[in-house]
Amino acid sequence: MTFKEAVADTPNLKTAWQPGLQALRAEDRPHIRAENPRQLRGSVDMDAALQQVAPQANRWDFAIGHQHTNRRGEFIYWVETHTGSDNQVKVVLKKLEWLKTWLRLEGQPLARFDRDIIWVSSGHTLFTKGSAQVKTLAQRGLIYAGAVLKIPIERPA
Amino acid sequence: MTTLNIKHVGQITEANLAFGDLTVLVGPQATGKSIALQLLKLMVDAGQVQAELGRYGLDWEGKLPDFLDAYLGEGMRAVWRSGESRIEWEGKTVDLPQWAAHKRKTKEESLFFIPAQRVLALRDGWPRPFTDYTPGDPFAVREYSEKLRVLVEQEFGGAGDLFPQERRLKREFRDLLQKNVFSNFHLRVDKFRSQKRLVLGPGAATENLPYMVWSAGQREFVPLLLGFYWLMPPAKISTRADIEWVVLEELEMGLHPRAISVVVLLVLELVARGYRVCLSTHSPQVLDALWALKHLRETHARPEVLLNIFEAPNTPPMQRLATSAMEKTVKVYYFNREDGATSDISELDPSAEGQAEAGWGGLSEFSGRANEAVARAVANADREAQP
Repeated sequence: MTFKEAVADTPNLKTAWQPGLQALRAEDRPHIRAENPRQLRGSVDMDAALQQVAPQANRWDFAIGHQHTNRRGEFIYWVETHTGSDNQVKVVLKKLEWLKTWLRLEGQPLARFDRDIIWVSSGHTLFTKGSAQVKTLAQRGLIYAGAVLKIPIERPA
Repeated sequence: MTTLNIKHVGQITEANLAFGDLTVLVGPQATGKSIALQLLKLMVDAGQVQAELGRYGLDWEGKLPDFLDAYLGEGMRAVWRSGESRIEWEGKTVDLPQWAAHKRKTKEESLFFIPAQRVLALRDGWPRPFTDYTPGDPFAVREYSEKLRVLVEQEFGGAGDLFPQERRLKREFRDLLQKNVFSNFHLRVDKFRSQKRLVLGPGAATENLPYMVWSAGQREFVPLLLGFYWLMPPAKISTRADIEWVVLEELEMGLHPRAISVVVLLVLELVARGYRVCLSTHSPQVLDALWALKHLRETHARPEVLLNIFEAPNTPPMQRLATSAMEKTVKVYYFNREDGATSDISELDPSAEGQAEAGWGGLSEFSGRANEAVARAVANADREAQP
């Protein structure tokens, strides 16, 4: 199954798929850089698509489909763009918990894909790579990418 | 800003350094950091270097290769490639072969160099004289060793404590060092038969520990402490006359992070006193401190916020130190092994696009990779657990 097909199979996302990075808000696009944009398999603005059905939830921002040259299946980057400051850690971790729950329930077609879950800083970055906060996030499965997520041609091990 | 540009010297293909009040060089082993720092010493103190080498009977006969072997150490003549190597100091080309050929009149020293190999200076627990080394040993090591010998013999010749000493270092530093380096031991001059030696002891002289049974960190730290003593004379004189620059190589050697923290604070003390300090380091902790310093400066943070990072007491003398340190300019350069060039990474921006700056010249790369590996494993373990 492709990313596009899985999105179409997911409740409340059926019409949310967009080619390339078109589902991303204009202000968020500069934070995502695919080394080879032709390997992108589309994107979904989950925050907007699920706003009506879960208005109070800590909704995750985006899903981006990608085909790495060294992998058979497509891959999903789950991306949250959010200010990279200390007092936002709890907020983003709440969103992560929401995403994990959503993937177990409505998001099952998309949960089958290999994935990275990424926090991209939308403003000033105040975490260092070795900081305790970044380690806390890592233990919960979240990669803090800084201001720009670079999507590589080949998937790292 | 004072500038030093080096092209095609040793491993360096191009290094463009503009020095701040505090300048830090980072990069993998053997990328030219030490050569750059020793060239800085030569640019600042050519006359003093020549005079000292001559005083101890080293004669390079006006030839640059022989001079480089005597100054940088045996075999280091190879770093200079005739017709290719080039140095600019303060924007002017330096004719190094000419420098080696002509002895200079000025012999004053204005750069104090604390070398990475400082532990060699205290073999057997007493500073070795310049002549105790072989002619092939680097000048920086021999010179530092000689300075410590003079310091210990002239200023601490008699028996008694070298540390703690009321007139040496601020009380706050003495407390921090007692806690984080010496574990309440005292550093003192002792005699074994008729030989003077430095020992560590908790109290009675019979319980003194000789040099060889000190911890590795204490063996590394004591020569560094003596260097700080030399730079911070007792009484009301805040700096050593004529000394403008201080080079400190690898301040972290052998030290626990808590001890590194005190040494970084001592470096800020040097900067606050008006010295221009250049460091090389492999410690991410040093860059953590500079990164914090930058952001605290930008946000006009109170001095105690900086002191908290170092677990230093919030006393008036330490507040003055912190206030002064936050006003100083800091430059950080990365020496890249791949292309032999330097990059200015002074912004220390973890989100910078360039890996050199984001990974702090490789010092946080490993941590970053470890974090990503764990995050991926956790994220996909969740996936495999799902139906």
